[in-house]
Amino acid sequence: MPNVVLRAENLTKTYRTASTSLTVLDDVSFTVEQGDSLAIIGPSGSGKTTLLGLCAGLDVATSGTISLMDFKLQAMSEDDRAYLRNQYVGFVFQNFQLLSTLTALENVMVPLELRGERNVAPKAKALLDRVGLSKRLNHYPSQLSGGEQQRVAIARAFMTDPKILFADEPTGNLDEENAKHVTSLIFGMNQEQNTTLVLVTHNLELAAMTQRVIKMRGGRMVV
Amino acid sequence: MMEYYIKLKRTVRPVFRDRWVWSMAWRDARHNFSRLFLFAASLIAGITAVVALDSLNQTLQGDIDRNAKELLGADFAVSGDKKFGSELQALFDSTKLPQASEADMASMVLFKRSNESRLIRLVAVTEGFPFYGKIETLPVDAAAKLQGGRYAMLDASLATQFEVSSGDSIRLGNSVFAVAGVVEKIPGGGGVMSTFTPSVYIPLRELDSTGLVQYGSRVTYKRYFKTADDAGTKVLEESLGPVVKQRGYSFDTVQSRKEGLGEGFMSIYRFFSLLGFLALVLGCIGVASSVHIYAGEKREEVAVLRCIGSSGWQAFNIYFIQIFVLGVISSVIGSLLGIGITQVLPLLLKDLIPFEVGFTFSWSPLILGLLLGTLVSFLFSLLPLVAVRFVPPLTVLRAQSGTAQRRSKTQLVALALIGFFPLAFAAWQTRSWLTGTFFFLGLLGALLALTGVAMGLLWAVRRFFPTNAGFVLRHSLSSLFRPNNQTRVLLVTIGLGAFIISTLNVIQESMLSQVEFTGQENQSNTILFDIQREQRDGVIKLMEDHQLKVNQVVPIITCRLREVKGKTIESLTADTTKERSNWALTREYRITYRDTLTRSEELLKGEVQHKKAGKDSVWVTVSEDVAERLDITMGDSLVFDMQGVPMTVYLAGVRKIDWPKDPPNFIFVFPTGVLENAPQIYVTSTRITDRQQAGRFQQQLVQQYPNVSLIDLQLILGTINKLFSDLGLVIRFLALFSILTGLIVLAGAVINSKFVRKKENVLLRTIGARTRQITMITLIEYAWLGLFSALTGMILSLGGGWLLTRFFFEITFAFDWVELLLIGGGVVLLTMVIGWWNSRDVISAPPLQILRGEG
Repeated sequence: MPNVVLRAENLTKTYRTASTSLTVLDDVSFTVEQGDSLAIIGPSGSGKTTLLGLCAGLDVATSGTISLMDFKLQAMSEDDRAYLRNQYVGFVFQNFQLLSTLTALENVMVPLELRGERNVAPKAKALLDRVGLSKRLNHYPSQLSGGEQQRVAIARAFMTDPKILFADEPTGNLDEENAKHVTSLIFGMNQEQNTTLVLVTHNLELAAMTQRVIKMRGGRMVV
Repeated sequence: MMEYYIKLKRTVRPVFRDRWVWSMAWRDARHNFSRLFLFAASLIAGITAVVALDSLNQTLQGDIDRNAKELLGADFAVSGDKKFGSELQALFDSTKLPQASEADMASMVLFKRSNESRLIRLVAVTEGFPFYGKIETLPVDAAAKLQGGRYAMLDASLATQFEVSSGDSIRLGNSVFAVAGVVEKIPGGGGVMSTFTPSVYIPLRELDSTGLVQYGSRVTYKRYFKTADDAGTKVLEESLGPVVKQRGYSFDTVQSRKEGLGEGFMSIYRFFSLLGFLALVLGCIGVASSVHIYAGEKREEVAVLRCIGSSGWQAFNIYFIQIFVLGVISSVIGSLLGIGITQVLPLLLKDLIPFEVGFTFSWSPLILGLLLGTLVSFLFSLLPLVAVRFVPPLTVLRAQSGTAQRRSKTQLVALALIGFFPLAFAAWQTRSWLTGTFFFLGLLGALLALTGVAMGLLWAVRRFFPTNAGFVLRHSLSSLFRPNNQTRVLLVTIGLGAFIISTLNVIQESMLSQVEFTGQENQSNTILFDIQREQRDGVIKLMEDHQLKVNQVVPIITCRLREVKGKTIESLTADTTKERSNWALTREYRITYRDTLTRSEELLKGEVQHKKAGKDSVWVTVSEDVAERLDITMGDSLVFDMQGVPMTVYLAGVRKIDWPKDPPNFIFVFPTGVLENAPQIYVTSTRITDRQQAGRFQQQLVQQYPNVSLIDLQLILGTINKLFSDLGLVIRFLALFSILTGLIVLAGAVINSKFVRKKENVLLRTIGARTRQITMITLIEYAWLGLFSALTGMILSLGGGWLLTRFFFEITFAFDWVELLLIGGGVVLLTMVIGWWNSRDVISAPPLQILRGEG
């Protein structure tokens, strides 16, 4: 029986202001098993990114439950969720989100250093080599192209050997050639490390590469 | 499923053992130095000011302690405005202690070589004085030579002004003295007073030969004593003190002189402390605002760190370590700079203090700077940095995500500490909770007023926005409201500096306007006094011969009080149960007689002085303050001693006197028809506009009537101006810290808003703006900022100046628009230059480079 890595049950997210409330996610349930790849697609404002944020423990649902690696996220404090992310989760964002003051190598080293581990540079270098940036180790983000920055972000995401990788429009800011390169890296490394992949995208071609697709509209799951 | 079930056991590492936090702090800081420049510079400016002033105070106090005995020149001194009687002489002799005598009075001196003359303080001394310290002269043997014949010594300032050197001759009254030398330094002398009236020293035994001491002359007699030790001084104080006080004399000891001087300096120190305090508070504002901007800029990075597993405290610690370490480094720099500046301040103060101020290094200001800087960087960065803890990781996906928590306990504690810190610091600096609270409330009031005016101006700009003005003008005005532009903070900080300088200018103008009647037509600018009865007609003729209009001839009679309300002065001074001023009871009064009020007088109570028929016929008026000191009211009787003849008078009214206006003014004024035949002297006044005419007249006056003294009010005006420019230099120097902090905040704000400016400029360039237009927009924006800051400061300085002149200095409020406009123009120009200097690369960089830089 396959292991469930992520379980979402009746997830609802409502933003309340003084006078109105807006439900951006309405009663969403699904499971993701180990090694699966899942794409969440849908038009803008359909709740894709909200769903990803809730699944990754970046935000808390208004109602419903999320189990990530069997940990009930809504019962955990923000710092405990941060610790959980550090242990099991990797991220790749549309706008790369590298730390501008760190070099490519330092950016990749950060997650393991955060755990208190030492001598992490060799692993970081190997990963950067894997993504084709062995000659860009000491470059700062501002000295790298968009495609190179995203490759550093991928290397950083795989640095902790995550059980699950969340990717938010990983090719959204890249040209076709770089998008292909990044896509092949994400899927390739995902396979190599048997990582579960959850990605949010507008790109149907990219979505088609995953094993499952969830389609969102108006905050609800339509498929 | 169990394969993944791992118990979550999060370990919390203390900050000192969390290597990752320290290494991240360093890595991140490497490229943030320019962004932390504002923080460091604000702290350095504040700490420099506090350390410089504290160090200066320690130096001054140390010098006062070291020079205490030299400040008096003896252990004990008795002084009074009448000669010591035989009884007192006998008492002095009975002490069998080494003694020296001195008599000083105002007099004219005539320089024989140039035939010029000037009002001076004539000091006649006996051999032996000073017992402590040394009279430093040029040539060195001048002091020793003084007592050997008819010699005189001159203060260095006087000798320089009239180009007199040893061997020249001067005339004092009827005698001619050979100049023995120039006095460079004398115990008890120097300081501000010597600027107004420089001294000429002669042997006491030669005083009578000058013929200057005549009826009505105001002479101060002093007797100096040297005791064996402090215990001896104490015994002397206890035995002689009460006796001399009862007879209307006063006494001085080293301790009282030291305390008096210390109090004088304490006032200056408190004023300096206030400026230092302001600079530090501005520094704190700079620190808080810079950290606030810094923390805001770090939101995205914090969110990334949170995504990959950093705890809120870890993220906080990264930036807190940076700020704290930089705070310590800045404190060290600020403290060292402050100590360096302490070496400059005595140079600025040298004309204002009666002793040389040396440089003494002390560890305590250095430690103070370090502790204070560390505390400030801790307290004022805590509040903005704590917000970092609550940056939601969701920010990586949605930039507009709000903070998870609005107010934490840490923030509330930080807020409370921030509120308490300025109060505690003010109390510590003034060594008094009460004074400190006043300081604090005053500052709070000033800052609130500044903020209010700044906000009012900004509101007015929005409300009356010139929508029809050209693009450059409109865009530069709109830029003031750019997010993170710090416009309000800048208006307050630069405005505060402008406020201090403008207020100083308003007070200076108000003070000068008190004596500036000399500039008005038909007003006297020269006063002649000590004219004897037989000299009156001659002096008036001399004035007329020189075509000088005699504006008034005022008779003066000297007398003392014998009884007040039926009680003798002796019994009143012996009565220690009543708080009454001995000075007012025992002093010599100079009175006049007339039946009207002058322009400088206002009748507060009762009637104008008048004479009634029959008994109880003489009704006089008195000044408000002396009526209070003597505790007398309408109808009370007073007995005056008119050169041995008792005269009973009654109080008819109380006058309020504007003393500096239209001198001479008098405490007691008698009616006419009473004192016309009493021995009297005269004061007269005239107006001299031509300096050469003044010189000729003075020369003949001194030659024909050597005892008559002349006050040149224009000379006094010049001296006040010089004093203010000296003092103003010190105050401006310190106010500069405030301006400097404001400009640092400005520079920091420019640096911090660079990215926003770059984006704006790229957009402007894209749609066709030329470099010249962008430069103009930038310059005009800073011109607005400078203008509004200057306006903020000046509007308040007029208000503050009015309050200070009305209630503290009790003088008429006056200001000079031209000078205020010059100060305002200076502030605007400085702001424009600093703003433009920091924006050069933003203005000139090509759009492509900016896009690459932002990527």
